[in-house]
Amino acid sequence: MVSGMATFRAALSSASLGSVRSSLGARVGSGGADKPPRYSAAGLFIKGARREEWPRVWREVDLARSYDAIIIGGGVHGLATAYYLATNHGITNVAVLDKAYLGSGGSGRNTAIVRSNYLTPEGVAFYDRSLTLYNSMSTDLNLNVMFSERGHMTLAHTDGALRTMNWRAEVNKLQNIDSSVIDPAEVKKLAPSLDVSGDTRYPILGALYHPPGGTIRHDAVVWGYARGADHRGVQMHQRTEVFDILCEGGDGPDGKGPGGRVTGVRTNRGDISAPIVVNCTAGWATTISDMAGVRLPITTHPLQAAVTEPVKVFLPTVVVSGSLHVYVSQTDRGELVFGASVDPYATYSMKGSLEFTEELAGHVLELMPGIGRMRLLRQWAGLCDMTPDYSPVMGFTPVDGFLCDVGWGTYGFKAGPVSGEQMAEAIATGRTPKLIEPFALSRFAAGDLVGEKGAAAVGH
Amino acid sequence: MQRLATQPGEVIDRSRPLPFTWNGKPHRGFAGDTIASALAADGVRIFARSMKYHRPRGLLTADYWDPNAFVQVGSDPNVRAGHRLLEAGMDVSAQNVWPSLEYDIKAANGLVGRFLTAGFYYKTFMKPARLWPVYERVLAQFAPGGTVDYDSAHEYFDKRYTHPDVLVAGGGPAGMASAIAAADAGASVMLVEHEHDLGGYLRWGDGAQRELADDLRASCDAHDGIEVLRNATVTGRYEDNWCAVVQRDHPHAVERLIKARAKTLVVAPGLIERPYVFAGNDKPGVLLSGAARRLMNLYAVKPGQRAVVLTANADGDRTVTDLERVGVDVARVVDARAGATVVAAHGGAKAVESVELSDGSSVDADLLVTAVGWTAPTSLLNLAGDRPVYDPQAARFFSDRVPDNIVVTGGLAGDGSAAELVEHGRATGELAARRAAVVAHTLQRLTSRAAPVADDTAQSMPPDDRSPLTRDAHPELFRSSTHGIVDYSEDVGSKDLVAAATEGYDSVELIKRFTTATMGPAQGKLETVNTVAVLAEARGETIAEVGTTVWRPPFAPVTLGALGGRIFEPVRVSSIQPWHEAHGARPILAGQWVRPEHYGDPEGEVRNVRGNVGIIDVTPLGKLDLRGPDVAKLLAHLYTNKWAKLPVGGVRYGVMCAEDGVVMDDGVTGRLGDEHYLMTTTSSGAAGVWEWAENWLQTEHPDWQVHITPVTTAFTSINVAGPNSRELVSRLTAIDLDSDAFGYMQVRRGEIAGAEGCFMWRIGFTGELSYELHVPSGYGLAVWEALLEQGADLGVAPFGLEAQRIMRLEKGHFIVGQDTDGLTRMPTVGLNPLIKLDKPDFAGKVELREAVEDDTLPRLVAIQPDDPDIVPVEASQIVRAGTNEILGRITSSRRSPTLGRSICLGQVAPEAAAPGTTLTVVLTTGQRISAKVMEHHAHFDPDGERQRV
Repeated sequence: MVSGMATFRAALSSASLGSVRSSLGARVGSGGADKPPRYSAAGLFIKGARREEWPRVWREVDLARSYDAIIIGGGVHGLATAYYLATNHGITNVAVLDKAYLGSGGSGRNTAIVRSNYLTPEGVAFYDRSLTLYNSMSTDLNLNVMFSERGHMTLAHTDGALRTMNWRAEVNKLQNIDSSVIDPAEVKKLAPSLDVSGDTRYPILGALYHPPGGTIRHDAVVWGYARGADHRGVQMHQRTEVFDILCEGGDGPDGKGPGGRVTGVRTNRGDISAPIVVNCTAGWATTISDMAGVRLPITTHPLQAAVTEPVKVFLPTVVVSGSLHVYVSQTDRGELVFGASVDPYATYSMKGSLEFTEELAGHVLELMPGIGRMRLLRQWAGLCDMTPDYSPVMGFTPVDGFLCDVGWGTYGFKAGPVSGEQMAEAIATGRTPKLIEPFALSRFAAGDLVGEKGAAAVGH
Repeated sequence: MQRLATQPGEVIDRSRPLPFTWNGKPHRGFAGDTIASALAADGVRIFARSMKYHRPRGLLTADYWDPNAFVQVGSDPNVRAGHRLLEAGMDVSAQNVWPSLEYDIKAANGLVGRFLTAGFYYKTFMKPARLWPVYERVLAQFAPGGTVDYDSAHEYFDKRYTHPDVLVAGGGPAGMASAIAAADAGASVMLVEHEHDLGGYLRWGDGAQRELADDLRASCDAHDGIEVLRNATVTGRYEDNWCAVVQRDHPHAVERLIKARAKTLVVAPGLIERPYVFAGNDKPGVLLSGAARRLMNLYAVKPGQRAVVLTANADGDRTVTDLERVGVDVARVVDARAGATVVAAHGGAKAVESVELSDGSSVDADLLVTAVGWTAPTSLLNLAGDRPVYDPQAARFFSDRVPDNIVVTGGLAGDGSAAELVEHGRATGELAARRAAVVAHTLQRLTSRAAPVADDTAQSMPPDDRSPLTRDAHPELFRSSTHGIVDYSEDVGSKDLVAAATEGYDSVELIKRFTTATMGPAQGKLETVNTVAVLAEARGETIAEVGTTVWRPPFAPVTLGALGGRIFEPVRVSSIQPWHEAHGARPILAGQWVRPEHYGDPEGEVRNVRGNVGIIDVTPLGKLDLRGPDVAKLLAHLYTNKWAKLPVGGVRYGVMCAEDGVVMDDGVTGRLGDEHYLMTTTSSGAAGVWEWAENWLQTEHPDWQVHITPVTTAFTSINVAGPNSRELVSRLTAIDLDSDAFGYMQVRRGEIAGAEGCFMWRIGFTGELSYELHVPSGYGLAVWEALLEQGADLGVAPFGLEAQRIMRLEKGHFIVGQDTDGLTRMPTVGLNPLIKLDKPDFAGKVELREAVEDDTLPRLVAIQPDDPDIVPVEASQIVRAGTNEILGRITSSRRSPTLGRSICLGQVAPEAAAPGTTLTVVLTTGQRISAKVMEHHAHFDPDGERQRV
């Protein structure tokens, strides 16, 4: 963080957050009205026997005219931020706004893979915390998010790629992450459908194997956080679109821009005031931050994914191939879920392309030649906000009270829990937590980029 | 069910019986039968078990979309029995049943159904956490679908490209009429029919309808302008009518993908009949009217003995007529138009026995046929941006607004008699042809440099002047007063949907995600409208208010094989590759290239180069031919160093950085003539550098006159290295190789071993005296063999990539992408003298200006382990002694045969970069060893005396 930001932090904590906390202390525990029933097998049995219905997973309430904090974007990042604001810091007079339905963006479109075997120490520490939170999430949230710790395998097809896998494994080991390079025979044992014969166009020379990685039911994560936040008094407002962010005192038009402060947002349901506005959107991160006069170095690219018809489960782990731009896992329902790298062009369109499915299928068959008769059932796309260093923009901005948790590229879902936890801490304390310091917006001006792009660029 | 006597419109060939097995038992059908019709004719009523409760399921739609008729055929999972034609000897079995279709143990789930509401798994299995993996395995047992044999061989798949003027999706009356009219107007037409024959609903209609179908079909088949594809589906419409057509009856491939760029697309898929939701609606014996009529009229199958028919439309009425004709006792006709309806189907688990009606009566029957309306399959229109609108009068969705290059006809456009549909289709075909002509004209104008158009004025799209089809009134019938199944594939009932909506999953997308309704193989074609209707009812809203989900491609599932096709991922080889293979070279894959890693003994190859002379095939080296007056400007922009004063005959090394100052590529460039240069790049960087250079030329400096031609494979490149290299090369060329005449870092052109048009330069990655020969690739092998022949007495031998890597490491030369990574800025590699900040501009200058001052950047240093016999694996980490704090890593490591010890390059933090520093290296085993930072990058011959001789 540069010194300008430090000054700003001081101003923020004295100006707005002090008041947030003092006004909110009294409200802690007052939200959520009746104590909601817990989910359990016994509950299912009793409700079933009595033919009773479960209460709403989150309440439908009227939009108030003011909140202590407004979170834009009802995906895993926004909801986790709200949840941890309420649980860890007792700040509950919070509204989460989404222009469609909760989980309608990247949270419901990703391929639900989680892992922590990153390349840089910062990346490892960050994602490992996320994985820890995912691990205990079902019990923490009292909603089964079906975290399937099935192992995660990144294939190497060239000696260069193998070198990168070794690099990641060695960094991971020093940080106590369970991660190692395995040979083709071990690959075959873990995923018998892979062709490790070696006489393929992209022979499998080995893999980085990460047993704690796996998949999770992404929608359940969204619902679990929403339900947990709701129980503590946070309000979820769907079909509530933000048209403008209201500011005062800034250098730009209408008081926006550096030096100013936020006062609220304008929505399709009217104006709402709040001293804190958090941008937790993906795909629209720049259009939202532009509303506050904060420019972000982000371009938006579509990322496509697809799913096959179900067949009996035969692929027990997550398989990733960087050279072939594909990752695949099989759900408990039997579908193969495929993802790829982002499309090479910037657009807000979420139409899928035929070329994507062709290339995807070709690459999957390169890995698993025997599944040519499985059928592709559905393809879709989501939007990814890409930053120059493949790392997010988190924390405070030059506009007082306006925070960002954006620029998550293709890996936002993995980071949802830890991002929410850290953003909540930033909001509540007015200080940038250490874990997200490397991701400050100011790093682009300071030339202090984060090194995860290294993982993508090496060995190609 | 049983086989009827010959029916007038039947499509089976009774002279060709086909034996097959079903769950191991022998059965028999006829040619023309689908698997489902053959089984039904043989009395089979249960085809599958439902996903969750394992309830017995019989035919429902008896076509491609039948959710209850997925079977395994041999190793082929999820075969649509309602669609796949029967073949002799087929081994057909039910999927997802245990121990058998008739007695399935998991049916016990049905007893506890009230506890297993949709999404129940989100509410349980949480404690104890350690047991979740066990629960997960149990849940996975309930995954639907067949079994894939992943060890089966990769099959032949193919693709085809086509550019029809008009692509017609759907071969019913309107589609056929469109195709004929468009072709009559001179358009080239591709007509795609999902079913096995053209005709649409006319195929199972009365005599007059079949006659009309026969006439239209004959016209289509006979028309020169129409290509008819049967058993094929337009599965996707992408930008500018880029359409995916999947052809399922290709003679050689399981499926073939046809990629069609259609000038206009006619969308005429007809309508899909919608099930009705009531208690017992998934019992075997409940059929949709289309299914009943197809079974009777196409396959001569009697669908039951005693029937109740719920009808809300003319199709239902015709079903009554057909049932009576084939001798089914129609016990009751329930006319929904008069307000009557069905409340429940009763009976044992395996069949309907009686039907309860809304008037309180109960009718004994083994067959219940429903005809309650349709779903409009608007998928292709959705993909073009259309958001269909619900019309409550007609009880279905209609398209709202489609682009000019799409025209809609048939059931998607409205209702009418067959004659009216044909008339609408004809008008549609004419319009489509006229619009295709405008599109063709526009394209011609845009590309008129190639072929000028006679009339160069822009033409506008002809307006839609068709008389619209009317919309018949239809009662809105979705759910009776009881609850039943909405999504058959996912075993989701209306009760589940109501419960989910009550719990707050009350938008169409949330309810879909929570209950999985519409997520199964039919992707909502049967289920979406009922889901929306039940949700609307639960919310007290209209269907229009609730809206619908967005259909996503593909319209019908496509095999991965068809999509992948043949995999066109070429490998590149040099013209000498056959020689390498014949001489025991071990191949290595390097990017797109296959090249020799070594010929058996890489260390021996190194010793031979250092002691005698070796030759290596370096053809993959990227080569760009640069011509024009402004080449020097371009070079000065791409490289960090200066190029203006490079004389003709000179060669210079340069490093390219991206705009963030990160090292992108390196190589040498030689000046062959006044305005003629040859640039070499790294093997993997060749394409990227070309693009990078063109990007600068085309976007930032279009005024610079430079022409770039990639010539990587136009030349075969051979490096001749070692103390005897001058003597060897001199035996093959007249070029004066004397050190004074041809010095280090110079280039000469001429004849080598009789091959004209060659050039060579004196450079050396190996650190030895060496000549890199670039020979027109047709002469590559000849020159290679000449070198071996002429150098026999000099000890010449080929060497591979591995020996080259060892020697370059001995010399401390870095490799971009191995010793550098995606964040390595140029000062790290220690070449700051090559960064000329006094140049007005070059790629990366802004960042590099700061980077050269940055004393926190890691440094690339030569490292030698204290124990000369330990070679740390590349990527071994360097840590602060006694801690896990990472200070750097080994980027390259080898045993040096020249020095007889291990040598490395590594990136380390500046604090650990000073020569003589002792480093702690963590081996992959976890063992920590000591190593020393060396003074020079070069472990061997640091002053470069050997290469300058």
